Amino acid sequence: MATAAPTRVPARRDRGAVLHDGFLRHARFRWLKIALLLCLACIASYLLIDVTPHHNGGSWYGYTLGTIGALLILWLTLLGVRKRAMTAGRWSLKAWTSAHVYLGLSLIVVATLHTGFQLGWNVHTLAYALMLLVIASGIVGIIFYAALPAALSNNRAEMTQGQMLDAIRAIDRQLHDAAQPLPHDQAALVRLSLDDDPFGGGIVARLSGNYPRCGTARAQAALRRWTGDRPDTGNDPLERIDALLERKRAMLARLRRHLKLKALLEIWLYVHVPATFALLAALTAHIVSVFFYW
Amino acid sequence: MSFIVRQISLTADGREIVRSTTIARPQLSLGRAAESDIHLPDLALDADHARIEQVDARTIRVRATGTLGFDVDGRTTLRAEIDPAIGAELRFGGHRIAVSADEDGATVLTIRRVDALSEASADREEATAFSLRGLIPGKRLTAWSAALAILIGFLVVPIWSVATRPAHAPPGADRIIGDKAWTPGPLSKAHHALEGQCEACHREAFVSVRDNACIACHKDAHDHAPAGRLALARETPGLGGQLLAKVAHAFNKPPAGACVDCHREHEGAGPMQPTPQAFCTDCHGSLKDRLKDTSLADARDFGTAHPQFRPLVETVPGKHPTFERKSLDQPITSDDGLKFPHDIHLSATGGVAKMARTMRAEHGFGDALACQDCHKPTADGTRFLPVDMERDCKMCHSLSFETIGGTMRTLRHGQPDQVIADLRAYYRSTAPARPIELGGMARRRPGDYAEGRIYHAYFGAAATRPGNADAAIRAVFSKGGACYDCHVVTPPGSNGATTWRITPVNQPMRYMMNGWFDHAAHRTEKCESCHAAPKSSAATDLLLPGIATCRTCHGGEQSKAAVPSSCAMCHSYHAGDGAPWVPATLRTKREDADRPKRSRHAT
Repeated sequence: MATAAPTRVPARRDRGAVLHDGFLRHARFRWLKIALLLCLACIASYLLIDVTPHHNGGSWYGYTLGTIGALLILWLTLLGVRKRAMTAGRWSLKAWTSAHVYLGLSLIVVATLHTGFQLGWNVHTLAYALMLLVIASGIVGIIFYAALPAALSNNRAEMTQGQMLDAIRAIDRQLHDAAQPLPHDQAALVRLSLDDDPFGGGIVARLSGNYPRCGTARAQAALRRWTGDRPDTGNDPLERIDALLERKRAMLARLRRHLKLKALLEIWLYVHVPATFALLAALTAHIVSVFFYW
Repeated sequence: MSFIVRQISLTADGREIVRSTTIARPQLSLGRAAESDIHLPDLALDADHARIEQVDARTIRVRATGTLGFDVDGRTTLRAEIDPAIGAELRFGGHRIAVSADEDGATVLTIRRVDALSEASADREEATAFSLRGLIPGKRLTAWSAALAILIGFLVVPIWSVATRPAHAPPGADRIIGDKAWTPGPLSKAHHALEGQCEACHREAFVSVRDNACIACHKDAHDHAPAGRLALARETPGLGGQLLAKVAHAFNKPPAGACVDCHREHEGAGPMQPTPQAFCTDCHGSLKDRLKDTSLADARDFGTAHPQFRPLVETVPGKHPTFERKSLDQPITSDDGLKFPHDIHLSATGGVAKMARTMRAEHGFGDALACQDCHKPTADGTRFLPVDMERDCKMCHSLSFETIGGTMRTLRHGQPDQVIADLRAYYRSTAPARPIELGGMARRRPGDYAEGRIYHAYFGAAATRPGNADAAIRAVFSKGGACYDCHVVTPPGSNGATTWRITPVNQPMRYMMNGWFDHAAHRTEKCESCHAAPKSSAATDLLLPGIATCRTCHGGEQSKAAVPSSCAMCHSYHAGDGAPWVPATLRTKREDADRPKRSRHAT
């Protein structure tokens, strides 16, 4: 008699007892809920409170939203200080980062309502635009952090980045040895590949992963002009070099993909951090100018 | 003669290994080829790249065999002669060869690979190489330069410009640099000329705009009431309001009642924004609680809490009329000295309508009389002119009494004495000219006859003149007569009158002296929807509508009524005779209504 095998019901995880919670899911989205509440409170009060003739940053309500926004911005900036000290617990760095993300997003609502949708070519709108730039770059960062580590891991194929570089170095040594008997012009081709910096190419190449002037590719293409119309006899050093160049290209492609992904993980911070400092400066100018011409 | 060749290579942990070979030959070959005396596995070199020869005891010569040269002390050459005792540094591709001499006079060639085998093999910091560092400007540099640029451009420059501005410079002179970026929005149309002259209103740093900045230009702006009474009249705000007032005070804002409380700026180009109702009701909502002696009733909202209108009506007509304010809660009368039944005139049937139809072609009447047939608006359309007998009544109510050569002679309206005179003349009812002989001290003809004849001539003639004039005059001024129909007539003898008198008519053009009403704004409405004229049989009926009629369309500022109306629609804070300041939205509507409609298909 066949009895149904007892199917294992996966035990429901206890509250908070998750093996790994990202900063986005931290404490079952506690900070998402808090940020949503803040946004809803702001939107509701914006609709309910009657500011005449229309909402603007200069009404008592506008000043209240502005104060909340400015304090939020200052606190969000403090993540840069806070992250240098990792702790656990309720006020862990993860909790702090979770709050940073969600409260930072809520700033879109708070600050936009603070403007009363009155924008112009002035220092006030500059501060607002910089704030949006900071938030946008942060959103890009979150997206990259969510999507790229898996791609990075797939691409690495269990290699460390040091190993990737060592692999290229090993190929380079073999290329160097194999090219020794070659006449000068052919040796120069091999040097084209050897002298090509795998970390070169500039920021565009790094971010796009396209290296149109890749030395190895050019060396191989040029070499094949010689070997292309000759039979592979098995002992032609050019054929060996061609094979080595082929391996180097594959290795370089992996390394460059790695560099691209790493660059993407980093590049948003090159916008996020300077824009934050610019924002703090613009915010200072915004607040001081308002009280200066009070 | 020999060369000592020392090849230096590095172990993995950076230690140097020196391999020294002595070659006892006057000439050495150098190249990539394995059989060279000095074999340098360097792809930058030819298989047979150069020769090193001993020329004499103190000279060696290095010469390139091919066209690829080498470097001597940093300079590229194909040939060089070197004194080993002095020494030199040669460079072949990625290798460096130091030339020196040892104690025995032998030439020592110390060879060291200086360039890595390939770029990838070069030593580098992994953390740096795999990051963006070096590829783009660092975060710190960008952050500080951007922050500094913004602080300088948007804060330091304007503040410096204000600080170095000469004291008491007039607005507009000696412009402040960079404060344009501080404006939170364009000024209204009225203040457009001040755009960019922030200091005209923002006179002192960190001091909010005060009334004296406004009064500098608006010299004739006057207060609503004496400052003391204004302060007394203002309602104490609730807890929230008190908190706000405290915060505002802490931040150096002027106390309530400042010009800027109502007149907000930087709210966008175009007309200035209307004043909110709250600024009026702060005081007038419960004024009686604080100003016990005020004659004004409390008003909080037109739709829900506004006293009934109290128009100024005439209680006693005449040369010296008396006026009184009466509430429209009950039907009230205003006696302006005229008799006029509206109902008969507006009736669609009856004699008036029939007469109007016969005069249709001449005067443009309809099937019956309408309001505008008699009432003519003022040029601005706000009110109506007093009814004018000659213009508005005479087409029906003729005062003709005789036709001479086809021309009608009419009695003169408004001049009772002339009417009497004309009638007497018509009936030749005047006495003949009195002869001078009958005068007191005048010269007389001698003789009794003469006296008697004169007497007879005068009194006889006077006795024979007809006396019909007096009857006609009485008829005109009495019931059924031309004057009596419309006017209050005082006959001679009554009230000490010596002749027939008409009570003067006083038609007011405005009944509500403290509120503004504009008929032009109500052009789309029918007269009857507010004025119950068709049902009024006496001219003394005051046909003004009460507040309930207004409220069928008008509600408070926040109401859902068809026309939400704040106080300022009818009342002016800086009270004057003109129209109160009208919110822009309503103003444009009215102007559009007056303008002829333009059609795209019009030819």
